[in-house]
Amino acid sequence: MIIRLYLFIRLSTLSLKKQATKRMVLKGFVDMLPLNLAVIPWGILCGSLAIQRDFSVLEALLMPLLVFAGAAQLVATELIASNTSLATILFTVFIISSRHFLYGLALRDKLKALPLTKRVSIAFVLTDELFALSTNRKSLQGKLRMIYGFAAGLSFYFGWLLWNIIGIIAGSFLPDLTAMGLDFAIAATFIALVIPSITTVPAFVTVIVAAILSVIFKLWHWQLDLVIASIIAMCCGYFTLQLQIKLKNIETMPRSSL
Amino acid sequence: MTLLIILMMAGITFITRYLFLHPSLPIKIGPKVSSLLSFSAPAVLTAIWVPIIFVQDESLVISIFDAYVMAATVAVIVSIKTKSIYWTVGISVLTFALVRFVV
Repeated sequence: MIIRLYLFIRLSTLSLKKQATKRMVLKGFVDMLPLNLAVIPWGILCGSLAIQRDFSVLEALLMPLLVFAGAAQLVATELIASNTSLATILFTVFIISSRHFLYGLALRDKLKALPLTKRVSIAFVLTDELFALSTNRKSLQGKLRMIYGFAAGLSFYFGWLLWNIIGIIAGSFLPDLTAMGLDFAIAATFIALVIPSITTVPAFVTVIVAAILSVIFKLWHWQLDLVIASIIAMCCGYFTLQLQIKLKNIETMPRSSL
Repeated sequence: MTLLIILMMAGITFITRYLFLHPSLPIKIGPKVSSLLSFSAPAVLTAIWVPIIFVQDESLVISIFDAYVMAATVAVIVSIKTKSIYWTVGISVLTFALVRFVV
């Protein structure tokens, strides 16, 4: 009888766990869905461009399968097609990807203790989009949030692959999409992610500084424009926060100590 | 050759994503750096989208009649009003398409 009861409890907790896992996978998928849909034009562009620049189908497929990056894929496709030197291609890809260093640093303390396979898997699907969904202090902490994050990241991987495949298939029928302004959808997604998240003065300062500097550095053709603008903006946000804390301390200090 | 380049590119994108997650890297993130890094998402995402809107053909465009600028303005307003990614992307992309291809 006791064994039976034990088994019953065991089984029901197991199925509860399974349900929770399922819910998290579903939630990850649903939360990533708008970002997944927003990159449809961009993904189709990447796939079709590869075909139009005379990549073989296998090569065009390996881009989203292995490289799995938007801007880096696009720029590299053009560079490879124009017979640019290997060093330039790889350096450019490195520069474009270097923002991921910041994501890795920001998530380091949450992820470094994970077993190797999990760490490698989450790193593989660590895109701008997944990072944008992981900004909460608690995100990726604990098993369920990890499942949520991985489901979101993986759904983005397969979505990206699918849009690329559509581009590869349609590539020879489509006109040159590079001048169509398809990058606007990316900008719109990031606006939707960033603007509502500005709830504090330091966050506001960060966004304003990043906005101004990124444009200036882009016009100056700095290769590390994105990363340098981001780092300076982060510092400005940080110092604003410190200033806020200091001012608050002065305000709450008893008069006698002033 | 292209195949080889793609494999090397894959290596680079993966390393940039993985490097700082590697546990034996001798880096310790104190509370100060951690606070600094908490601003990375708004900083990087902004530094990605703002130049898409305002830098076209390597020059600065600040005209409300430009499709990018107008649709981005709409996106900012809708995102504040609705806080929904769907509404923001939907309405602003529609605005963009209208201004660019119809008007």
